Amino acid sequence: MGGAEGVASDSGLGGATPADVDQDPNIAEAEDVKSVALKSGGDVVGIAPADRWDAYVPEGCRPYDILPEAKSVIVVGCRGPSAGAWLSPDHRIMEVNGYDFANDRAVHGIADHIERKYGYYAIQAPALPTGGHQPPMSMMLSAVLSGLGTRSLAANIILNPKYGLLYYSACITTMPLPVDPMLEQDVCPHPMCVATYKKIGKTPCMAACPADEGGCLDGKIGEDGRIEESYYNRERCVSRAMNFGINSFQKYLEKIVNEDDSEKRSQMVYSDFFSRSCSALSFYKESVAQCFECMRVCPIGRDERKLK
Amino acid sequence: MSASSEAMVETSPKDELINLALKGGALVAGVADAAAFTAAPESHRPVDLLPGAKSVFVVGGAAPRAGDWRSPNYQHMEVTSINDRITALSLKLAHHVERKFGYYSVGFPPGVDRGQQPFVSVALAAELAGCGTASLAGPVLNAEYGFMYYAAFATTLPMEPDGPPQESACPAPECVEMWNAEGTTPCLSTCPIDKGGCLGGRLEDGKVAERSYDRARCTSRVYNYWVPGFQKALDSILSESDKESRRMMIHSTFFTRTLWSITYANVSQGQCYECMRVCPVGKEHRTLK
Repeated sequence: MGGAEGVASDSGLGGATPADVDQDPNIAEAEDVKSVALKSGGDVVGIAPADRWDAYVPEGCRPYDILPEAKSVIVVGCRGPSAGAWLSPDHRIMEVNGYDFANDRAVHGIADHIERKYGYYAIQAPALPTGGHQPPMSMMLSAVLSGLGTRSLAANIILNPKYGLLYYSACITTMPLPVDPMLEQDVCPHPMCVATYKKIGKTPCMAACPADEGGCLDGKIGEDGRIEESYYNRERCVSRAMNFGINSFQKYLEKIVNEDDSEKRSQMVYSDFFSRSCSALSFYKESVAQCFECMRVCPIGRDERKLK
Repeated sequence: MSASSEAMVETSPKDELINLALKGGALVAGVADAAAFTAAPESHRPVDLLPGAKSVFVVGGAAPRAGDWRSPNYQHMEVTSINDRITALSLKLAHHVERKFGYYSVGFPPGVDRGQQPFVSVALAAELAGCGTASLAGPVLNAEYGFMYYAAFATTLPMEPDGPPQESACPAPECVEMWNAEGTTPCLSTCPIDKGGCLGGRLEDGKVAERSYDRARCTSRVYNYWVPGFQKALDSILSESDKESRRMMIHSTFFTRTLWSITYANVSQGQCYECMRVCPVGKEHRTLK
């Protein structure tokens, strides 16, 4: 794989080759920055050149549109839920513990380190929507371009070869750094999924949430074992995976506002549903997401989730 | 017994975790037997969150600093006292157990589940892990430090449980003395249930013999600006027929603070610390130069 992974002591040089070491004077700095990312809680880290975005995004969404003179983008991936959370029979545990923002913390660690130690500008890449539902910079694309993963049949989630589902954040910097190559091998579909597809015409994720039976996923795998076609019903998925987030708050608030009966309105305001929607917005980050089923059945990274 | 800040020799996963907890800012840490949560209702026990859970690791800390208690601006405590630092530490330790020792771990969510019930009571976990005991005032008090915040995670890693402390931190000797002289304790007198407050109780032979606590009243005073405050304000705003008044309510300080309170800025989480302010347990840690 492209980026560095594992503990800080084996942070490595990602996809850099011995030739890169000779050519790039910043190889030691890259290793240092990756080491900080891993020590700050990252599970994987990769570096992409800022101009790698040129071929994929419109003007205004490239790293150097966000930070002038940006040269590199360092992307960090973190496992969110613990293996125990995946195992829990109480699905609410994943709703609440599914995401702990470790990737954001690691990226802030890197940005501080670069500015203070090396004197280059460094910022967290803006990943939340600022207009409509589009973020200024896609973290999914960032993960792909930094060699940390590839798109999957399961809701286009970027899968890392070792860990499967990861949460990503990125740091944009003016510091020139040696870069990691993008992955040459698709992570999805896993050989087991190809075999399942040949047998029943679906992969485990498609079978968990089939679009033709009211679910969100569909797709085709070609003779070469690669994704030939992928279908993802984003609206349907959002309505199921995010019952208690901002969306539900807005949806229910509209109903509350339009309720003329003051008694009913009060009941709605104090209802468990609205309370949980409020909690989901709060710093407790309750109920960030409510559906993990396509990832639960994914064999990629399963070894990392099997413990004693 | 659970550990407090002395250096530990790393001889076992439990010792290593305690050492990491203390290095990470915890004041106390301990282990509860996952099977000991018999006082919790079914579906709210560690094994309900994590099948095969053997132990519950508890960390306590993030208490208001001595300077926080000292501030004459009572609103200062509203905006600085919060459990998220200790919750983050607990989650970090849960990941450590999985990644270093290879056992499953699940953090107890800090919020509440359906019907405002906690997933698993962190207060019960703290008691069973030997970190503290229940008090007349409500919070679990550590014998050394008094009031603090707790967080916990369940794990399939077997560890020697500490068990509940032999001695209760509450009532402190000063409180027993006050009870014998005046028929009340510092916390009971600061918020007496028979005078519109939240706390009642009785000591007998230097021990708590009876306790009453008006949770609803306490919540309405402690959580003025959090989700309940937001809901209350929203309900009032929507019931207001006058457009101008409604606009004023929306832009009011009260409503603004409820919004700050529920966001990640987590301002104004708790507005009343008076029963803890007068508590003598851990007072020496709140008294500096």
